[in-house]
Amino acid sequence: MNSGDKSGGVLVIAYGNPLRSDDGVAWRAAEEIRTTFASRIEVVCRHQLTPELAENASQADVVIFVDATARGNAGEVVCQSVTAESREARFSHHLTPSQVLALCDRWYGVSPPAFVISISGECFDHGDGLSAAARSGLRQSVRVVSDLISALQPLDSTAIGSVQLKISEGRT
Amino acid sequence: MAERKTIMIDPVTRIEGHSKITLHLDEQGRVEDARFHVTQFRGFEKFCEGRPFSEMPSLMARICGICPVSHLIASAKACDALLAVKIPPTAEKLRRIFGLAQVVQSHALSLFHLSSPDLLLGMDADPAKSNLFGVLEKDPQLGRDGIALRKFGQQIIERLGGKRIHPAWVVPGGVSDPLSHDDRDAILKGVPEALAIAMRTIGWLKGTMERFRDEIASFGNFPSLFMGTVKQDGGLTFYDGTLRMVDASGEVVASALDPARYFDFLGEKVEPWSYLKSAYYKPKGFPEGIYRVGPLARLNVADRCGTPRADQELAEFHELQRTAVLSSFHYHQARLIEILYCVERLEQLLNDPEILDKHVRALARPNAPEGVGAAEAPRGTLFHHYKIDEQGLIRWCNLIIATGQNNLAMNRSVLQVAQRYVQGERLTHGMLNRVEAVIRAYDPCLSCSTHAVGEMALEIQLVSPDGGVLDAVRR
Repeated sequence: MNSGDKSGGVLVIAYGNPLRSDDGVAWRAAEEIRTTFASRIEVVCRHQLTPELAENASQADVVIFVDATARGNAGEVVCQSVTAESREARFSHHLTPSQVLALCDRWYGVSPPAFVISISGECFDHGDGLSAAARSGLRQSVRVVSDLISALQPLDSTAIGSVQLKISEGRT
Repeated sequence: MAERKTIMIDPVTRIEGHSKITLHLDEQGRVEDARFHVTQFRGFEKFCEGRPFSEMPSLMARICGICPVSHLIASAKACDALLAVKIPPTAEKLRRIFGLAQVVQSHALSLFHLSSPDLLLGMDADPAKSNLFGVLEKDPQLGRDGIALRKFGQQIIERLGGKRIHPAWVVPGGVSDPLSHDDRDAILKGVPEALAIAMRTIGWLKGTMERFRDEIASFGNFPSLFMGTVKQDGGLTFYDGTLRMVDASGEVVASALDPARYFDFLGEKVEPWSYLKSAYYKPKGFPEGIYRVGPLARLNVADRCGTPRADQELAEFHELQRTAVLSSFHYHQARLIEILYCVERLEQLLNDPEILDKHVRALARPNAPEGVGAAEAPRGTLFHHYKIDEQGLIRWCNLIIATGQNNLAMNRSVLQVAQRYVQGERLTHGMLNRVEAVIRAYDPCLSCSTHAVGEMALEIQLVSPDGGVLDAVRR
């Protein structure tokens, strides 16, 4: 429930379908991230991004989205800064990270800095296993999240701005 | 002679699942007939055959992403009957809380996400704005309330079941894990805000009713039977009890019906134009045995809710009409009253001294070849009926889903609305949206409700490149 009190911290939103092979890589990454950082961050796993997540995001200082992608070379991990998108969503079943941030801004009046970590997969068929490439991407993604969280400490605008700049210049 | 035309609304939007509506016009362009076609098929009744009965709750939860908990509960109750066990009292209470949380989140989805655009922005609003985002623009508080209330229900499910979609916590003989002290306290912490939202939204909805007098008069406003589960004292219940049937005048026509004997009084019919079966009350025959289930029906059959705020609202609800409340438009208000009841009731259950007891599962081998489990799902009464062999493998399964029980009423409602609003020579968005909106009032869940195999209508056409039908086979 939105109590109006911002709990703060890092929110990791992992999404995908864990029953469609590599599409579930973000959930597996989330498990490791949760184990690594224990109570220091909030981790949620979802099949897709829905409007309710805007409320979660409104409570966070930083949001990290983790997702599988069919684009790129299998096993590749890309970290990008993401901002609220002005284009209006018409459907509530599936949103993009930018749309979640836009809803967060519009409904709760806050716009936390956010990052998207995309893990390229190669098999999206039925199944709960990961391809070798996705397993490699999983390990790399956990390192990227770990580095990102370390770089964001202390969680203030200077640290966040510095990380965003590095990412935009391709220096991470 | 003027041509007879058919208007098709395909797909019906803002409902759970896939369907279309056809409106059949006469030579003068007046609506002569209307049909609600369910165009998707699931088939769970058939492909669960051969599976161990102990897998059924988890398998059945996959029927639906919105109300998996209802299927879990009905399925587990059918398995309890196969085991022939009485589950521990705390397990029963925990299942009740689980089910109540499910009703809160599902009803919130229906009202806030799917129907509030019609109620807030109007039936004639721009379709590009008729969605949750349009609601948030016009009334941010209402939109935020919807999100918060749904989240409240989902978080309870997640805390109890381990995850919010397809949790497998409800098992034959009880539940797999007890409730922790921390989870109990965390859930209770959210109760005051959930209650405040429910009360605020009921007040808002009642304030809008005057604007919808015409819709109330024509949205499924006809005599029918209503069926729901009641406690021994006639009170509202979602977990167990007996079935009560009332008629349009509000008189009880059948009471203390045993849900395990549903086949004695409920029949199902397959129509060639839909994958959704139509249930009817056998003593009245088909289609005269038309009955409605779900929030409107439950509040029509219940004498009381049993919680203070919901009872106040129920008394007011019963004042809407001296007979049973007939208009399906009032499903919305009934849904909100049920949300209020569920939050109040789950608070009572969470404060029960036994709720943290660790004994939550009865273990047994199968002791009966056949079992029926029934519960009130958000959309109405849900039945799971299984037969097993000596190895405990499912040999036969029958599911009667709430949406199928409302099928006759939905079709009749579509016709009533179409005849009131649709003029065949001049179509507007508002006309057609009203036809969809009456379906939304029932909150049908089509993913849940299309399972019979071998009975469904099937038509295969051989079509030439120029579109001509060369041959057709029908079953």
